Amino acid sequence: MKGGQRSMKTIMQITLKGVFRDRVFHGIMVTACAFLLIPVIASLSMRQVTELSITLSLSLISFILLLLAVFLGGTSLWKDIERRYTFSVLGLPLSRQRYLLGRFGGTALFVLLVTVVLGVAAFVVVLYASIIYPSERPIVWLNMAACILFDALKYILLIAVATLFSTVSTSFFLPVFGTIATFLAGGVTQQVYEFVNSPAGDKLSPVIRQVASGLYYIIPNFGAFDLKIYAIYGLALPVNGLLLTIAYFVVYTGLLLSAAAALFARREMR
Amino acid sequence: MLRTASYGMACLVLYLIMIAPFTTYLKNKPFIEKLGYVPAVNVLKSVAVDQKELVSASFVLKVLMYFGGLAEKQFVVPPDYQSMSRLLHGAVKLDPYNMDAYYFAQSFLTWDVHQYKLANELLDYGMKYRNWDWYLPFYAGFNCSYFLHDYKKAADYYTKAGELSGNPLFKSLAGRYLQESGQTDLAIAYLFTMAQGERNPALKKTYQTRLTAFKEVKRIELARASFLKSGGIMPVTIERLIGAGLLTPSPVDPYGGSFYLQADGKVATTSKFAFGAAKKDSE
Repeated sequence: MKGGQRSMKTIMQITLKGVFRDRVFHGIMVTACAFLLIPVIASLSMRQVTELSITLSLSLISFILLLLAVFLGGTSLWKDIERRYTFSVLGLPLSRQRYLLGRFGGTALFVLLVTVVLGVAAFVVVLYASIIYPSERPIVWLNMAACILFDALKYILLIAVATLFSTVSTSFFLPVFGTIATFLAGGVTQQVYEFVNSPAGDKLSPVIRQVASGLYYIIPNFGAFDLKIYAIYGLALPVNGLLLTIAYFVVYTGLLLSAAAALFARREMR
Repeated sequence: MLRTASYGMACLVLYLIMIAPFTTYLKNKPFIEKLGYVPAVNVLKSVAVDQKELVSASFVLKVLMYFGGLAEKQFVVPPDYQSMSRLLHGAVKLDPYNMDAYYFAQSFLTWDVHQYKLANELLDYGMKYRNWDWYLPFYAGFNCSYFLHDYKKAADYYTKAGELSGNPLFKSLAGRYLQESGQTDLAIAYLFTMAQGERNPALKKTYQTRLTAFKEVKRIELARASFLKSGGIMPVTIERLIGAGLLTPSPVDPYGGSFYLQADGKVATTSKFAFGAAKKDSE
């Protein structure tokens, strides 16, 4: 392993250790206690107890991962700059780009780790609910696993957005609120794009339509990562679409991190 | 330290004083406020982002809690069916696979609100997505035959339900619904299926009450047929059937109304198969 890669790996490990030291994982475990309530709430359903338990489990995972992506992704780099850790770290034989990627990688790794833990909890909860109230429709566990995995990818992409905002921001407001705004916009871009290109969208001015279409290609499309419907109702997964989504994730994250690395390399540290 | 503790104690005492009236206020809040307002579907979709299924499920649970609360109080306040319908329509726009929404909408849009076409439009919408589910064409078929008397369309729905379920019941239903007496059999079969699969206590009770009422109607119809066969004339009142010993024990309407025979001999009740209707009529 080359020296640069080794130091990047060290930054990733430090980031992970820092997250654990801040007791973020403990906080997540406390929040995850909400899983225990899911079978009780799901039993209120009239015809789809198992489906409701899957809905609630996946929503809880998604919510926890969103909080992690926004607050860890948005504050990790900013905290280092604010506390002036970057001065001492960047004094070492380590490029700014590798430092940034190490920070991103550590946070992404933590999100993946949390996803695995919460995913196991969700599987246990759904299995329990399905034993007590057997579903008319079989549970497709593979779909559930794919849904949780794609959720993790979505939030890793969001961490990349937060990292990009952190490189240009002097406070945590832009990384945190910018990431939340991007998340909200990224969840509806597909819908807006379809609307402006539908007959109903003809009533809009051409400028608005062009701006909306332009934003569609710029803002990350998070809708593609949402597989909840497939997991809840056991529908057939669109394999080709998922492969395209993975490719989109790799390319878009690469673009964001390249831009973040370029901006961070030129950033004036004070 | 002592000062902080005394502030804390004062706040605790104030909390204990105000929590009882606060709880009473929330408990007595008008029902319409409890169901709330539903924004336009496009707005909802944007706000819900990746939690559409969760928001959809929460709408259904909200309606269910509201209806369950009213059922517990024997419907002293008439349910706000319009808001219930609006919430359930919003729920299926967010999650078109949500079976709870279709199921609950079917239960009150037909029997209580008499919006049969609206119910079938919703079921048709659901069938586009839940293409494995025999319940939706079963409900739609029942609505067509029993309420709308559109037998051709009902046959199509029952055929679809039969294909999806592989259940011969639908063929037998399709064969019976053309007779007038078959209508009650059809209602009994439908209500029995609904009540059997129901887990929610409030709804199960609603179905069982209606099922009991229709079983009583069936008993009267059988007695009426016997009277006609033996005497050659149509009975004018239920009392004639009881007097002739054909209807023992006397029929009881679980909704609190009284059964009677219409001019054409059809069995009807003053309750119109709903709580409160008999009371309203007497007032």
